[in-house]
Amino acid sequence: MTQPASRSVGHYQYEERDRAFLQERINEFEGQVRRRLSGELSEEEFKPLRLMNGVYLQLHAYMLRVAIPYGVLDSRQLHKLADVAAKYDRNYGHFTTRQNIQFNWIALKDVPTILRELAEVDMHAIQTSGNCIRNVTSDEFAGAAKDELMDPRIHAEIVRQWSTLHPEFTFLPRKFKIAISGSPEDRVAARFHDIGLLARPSENGPLFRLFVGGGLGRTPVVGQELFDSVKEEDLIATLEAVLRVYNAFGRRDNLYKARIKILVQTIGLEAFRKAVEEELARMDRAAYRLTPEHVAQIRARFALPDLKAPADASDVLEQHKKADPAFARWVASNTHPHQDEGHICAVISLKTPGDIPGDVTSEQMHGLADLAERHSFGEVRVTHLQNLVFGHVRKDQLHELWQGLKALGLAAPNVGLISDIVSCPGLDYCNLANARSLPLAQKLGARFGDAALQAEIGALSIHMSGCINACGHHHVGNIGLLGVDKRGAETYQILLGGDAGENAAIGGILGPSFAEDEAVDAVARIVEFYLGQRQKGETFSAMLKRCGLKAFKEVAYETV
Amino acid sequence: MKRLSRPGEGEILLLTASRLLDGRIVWLGEGEHWRESIAEATRFTYEDAGAALERALAEAEQKEVVAVYEVVAKDTQPPEPVTTREAIRAHGPSVHPDFSYDHAPVREKESAL
Ligand code: HEM
Ligand code: SF4
Repeated sequence: MTQPASRSVGHYQYEERDRAFLQERINEFEGQVRRRLSGELSEEEFKPLRLMNGVYLQLHAYMLRVAIPYGVLDSRQLHKLADVAAKYDRNYGHFTTRQNIQFNWIALKDVPTILRELAEVDMHAIQTSGNCIRNVTSDEFAGAAKDELMDPRIHAEIVRQWSTLHPEFTFLPRKFKIAISGSPEDRVAARFHDIGLLARPSENGPLFRLFVGGGLGRTPVVGQELFDSVKEEDLIATLEAVLRVYNAFGRRDNLYKARIKILVQTIGLEAFRKAVEEELARMDRAAYRLTPEHVAQIRARFALPDLKAPADASDVLEQHKKADPAFARWVASNTHPHQDEGHICAVISLKTPGDIPGDVTSEQMHGLADLAERHSFGEVRVTHLQNLVFGHVRKDQLHELWQGLKALGLAAPNVGLISDIVSCPGLDYCNLANARSLPLAQKLGARFGDAALQAEIGALSIHMSGCINACGHHHVGNIGLLGVDKRGAETYQILLGGDAGENAAIGGILGPSFAEDEAVDAVARIVEFYLGQRQKGETFSAMLKRCGLKAFKEVAYETV
Repeated sequence: MKRLSRPGEGEILLLTASRLLDGRIVWLGEGEHWRESIAEATRFTYEDAGAALERALAEAEQKEVVAVYEVVAKDTQPPEPVTTREAIRAHGPSVHPDFSYDHAPVREKESAL
């Protein structure tokens, strides 16, 4: 193992009191597990306690969900996750759409030990389950992307600190998810969160556009703009007020109606805004005021990368691309422009066609951690599309990184392309599933795996979920697939036209569900139709708008 | 109590649970001990299963299992669950044949009850 990444950048450095707090939480849970195993606690009493610590009971074993706040890991942490996978799981970890990692083969008796090992590298499973404010998610290119307006991580950390174990909000009507981005291009699906924040700078300090009441699941809803420009100093007060209104009015009697999206829909955006404003007027604003000093303090705990690249870094990259077409193809799909001319952001696809989306072996995790040490200041980010990002790679060293990724089997040139399929674990692991999602994702990946074909198709997203809970975000895929149980048989509904970004849209259901292989063929026909009929530069969603769902339906069901 | 699933022609009922310690899927077998292999599961008729399930539920805490319920299976050797969900529980994830209980080394048997 390599040395701890003392120079690792990008995430908040823990203080002693953070560490002491983690130890306390583990001691507490260890006692609870002990009392459960001795029979002192019944399953009924224990279940909510384990859920507060990220432990679910799944189809084959317990599942442990580990938090990766705003998706940023350092190489030391990734090595540790690799160790946990090898020692306590079947050598795998599964990265999720909430920028977390899940282990599917965990024994309850091992959990306290695992939590202690994770705490050694400042990791935990807090806020990964239960009806609390869940882990805040953020833009995977934060602090690096050329198109960024402001680095969202500082405020993501401030929101995390505010929300962690907020005494009022540990038992909300339902779970609560917050995402924050600082780019004009919404890379966090802000409109599909309970609260989505889009940050931008102004002459008078940062401003936040606040969306409320978005979500997927049983009732997919596009979030609505509650406030256009929340001032930095009012950020926490405003969040607090939104949560208070929700906590006071949100329904607790019906699990499916308990999310804030239902409250906002029921009383209407205007009434909700009025309630929030009244709450703001009532509360002690000074107590929640976010001062520039506090923000500066948090900012200081994020180390910044020392971006030094040779003057000819861009030229070297161009030469490498010319010499190696396979590398050039990977660069075209798997990179994003960096703020610094000599650097680039690299996206590592966890969707090698035919493999399981989001799954990484222990060896791959160790290998990635070593590569991150060498090429990205020891820092790795997890994306909400189940890929990884090295934020700051020197352009002249990108080829070397790519070769390292190839050796790990992680150089699929398909980010944003059709085989970059987002998928939940489905019936192969999940207790709530109606149908398997992974085999279908594998088949679709293999069907469209050819690099030239994918490049020809261009940007097109497939998302799939094994049930209506929508963990795989099927509503926002250009093509969405949803597993449904039809009298005991696994079948798949197809949705078209979803979009998670600026043009947020929920996919329309095409029609009756398909058997697995039929679904693969139907998707193939849909894609073929798109290729044949699209106008120059026309996206899938644009063509769908032009031609209408019915035309696609006829193709999918072969009724023409 | 919720009604039992009714087995069809050539089908029987098995009782299953998750082991408290490690979440491992287990099947109620001979002597009302929880077993790791579905091949060792006791076959119940619809008529017998109700009382057996009630007993198993009552003894769940003591026998260190959770989530006890009945599963419809074909009356074959070994019995084979009828639904995909239960087949996946019995044999492991379909996407990882190498992880299946049929092939993977059985973990240490701590709760050999
Ligand atoms: C395998 C164990 C899992 C269980 C038991 C589970 C359970 C659930 C449930 C019950 C909901 C709906 C909540 C509601 O509407 O109030 C939900 C939503 C969600 N889950 Fe999971 N999930 C699991 C795995 C995952 C995984 C692997 C991912 C990421 C790939 C994920 C990401 C999400 C997301 C993003 C939502 C939000 C949908 C929304 O906006 O309402 N979950 N999950
Ligand atoms: S969408 Fe359904 S099947 Fe998939 S992980 Fe979520 S709860 Fe499980």
